[in-house]
Amino acid sequence: MTDKKPNDLENLKDLPGFKRSNPIYFESEVVDHLISIVLDLGAELWVVKDRLAHFEEVLSENNKFSLTDLQVGKPSELLQEKLDEERKQMIKRIYGRLYSKYGGELAEEKGAI
Amino acid sequence: MTISKAIYKRGKTAGVFPSLSSRRDEAYMSFIEDARNLLLHAQQKPIGAYSRLLLQNAGKSMESDPRSTTEAKELLMKDNVLKTYYRVKRSLQESFWECTLNSLNMRKNDLLRALDDAEKIGPGSVTYDPDFSIPEYATAEIHIQPGGNANEPLSGLLYDYGSKVFMGGAADNDMFANMQANTVSAPKNGKVDRILDLGCSAGATTTALKRIYPDAEIWGIDVSSHMVRYAHLRALEQNLDINFKQMLAEELEFDDNCFDIVVANLLFHEVPVSISKKIIKETLRVLRPGGSFTLFDFPGDKKGDVYAMFFGEMDAIDNGEPFIPGFVRSNVEELMEEGGFKMDKYDPDKFILAERVGFKPIN
Repeated sequence: MTDKKPNDLENLKDLPGFKRSNPIYFESEVVDHLISIVLDLGAELWVVKDRLAHFEEVLSENNKFSLTDLQVGKPSELLQEKLDEERKQMIKRIYGRLYSKYGGELAEEKGAI
Repeated sequence: MTISKAIYKRGKTAGVFPSLSSRRDEAYMSFIEDARNLLLHAQQKPIGAYSRLLLQNAGKSMESDPRSTTEAKELLMKDNVLKTYYRVKRSLQESFWECTLNSLNMRKNDLLRALDDAEKIGPGSVTYDPDFSIPEYATAEIHIQPGGNANEPLSGLLYDYGSKVFMGGAADNDMFANMQANTVSAPKNGKVDRILDLGCSAGATTTALKRIYPDAEIWGIDVSSHMVRYAHLRALEQNLDINFKQMLAEELEFDDNCFDIVVANLLFHEVPVSISKKIIKETLRVLRPGGSFTLFDFPGDKKGDVYAMFFGEMDAIDNGEPFIPGFVRSNVEELMEEGGFKMDKYDPDKFILAERVGFKPIN
């Protein structure tokens, strides 16, 4: 005689979320893709802005250009603080309107706790 | 024998996590973390209020049952504001895993070598079995993390950095784990010689417990060998003497009555309810009489709130949480009591989670 498998261990692969899927939220998946693309472009734009600011700092401090400094180095604490604030403002400005009346000025910084 | 320091050539981030491979990846992930904070966490309350208003205006019942939850989902997901909110949530989640995995893979060999080096040295230890049989439920791609916890060799690192971003900085320097560990109830007679952390993942709670009880023997167990390997490296970096072992929480390889405290932090919503019952039974067995069991996890659906159930079901899909709906509907406090625990505390709002504490009866 074998133990009967509990019901909640049957057909696990059919449970929503068990395997990574590709959920679509809008009538046309093009809209879903566009939102993903817009968010990713924002992240990539931020990478460029961050790198440029770091580049300028490295140039002014060392009076020379070093690719390694840019790739593996870290900006000064002062610049990092400035970048952190600038990034938040950029997200609020560009994406605050996403939820219509729930965005904009309501998009105040708030952590998970 | 020392750990290869190649993994720390860019220093550490948010505590002991080896910094991502390039400044580019750090900048990208900072954007994702801030976008999550500003566009998701900060919007959760107004989006919740807006959703409830939509339900109310449509005359939908606010009491939850599977049918009303399905109806609520059909109604709410016709709304463009809500579609956008959940699309943003999903897209940011996909982006952060992709960037983290790519960044770690750029120096995969260094990272794996450091994990190999670490398992040969102490303080503490790590034990795992390459032929360990992973139960099917534990192969789920929880949090849509690539490969899940069990199948990706870098899953410990992925999970650790993912927690940083997911928690919006609250997990940095183990702040969240330290807050939780500080509230863990000790047995009434104060004797704490051995502690067990169930489903320890990257070991943040385990190390926090060791700092609070430096003289106690601490064990962290997890179904994933990749997790316990990384948890050991993480503990080593903090010079903490902890034993990590690959083990199922429902089949504990420990003697009866041998622990004073058992902790389960965010484990129960990642397993089917039938497994939760087994874990409770095993926990009672390994705890000594008077020993305490502290369980941190999400609160249950005691109010039968239809929006809360809708949110949980969306999370199941968007965040790869297949067992959350079952967990929320189950009454874990009741399961603990049925399992033989004397319940001492239920706080539904302890640092965004619920804290449940039970003691093993002395007689």
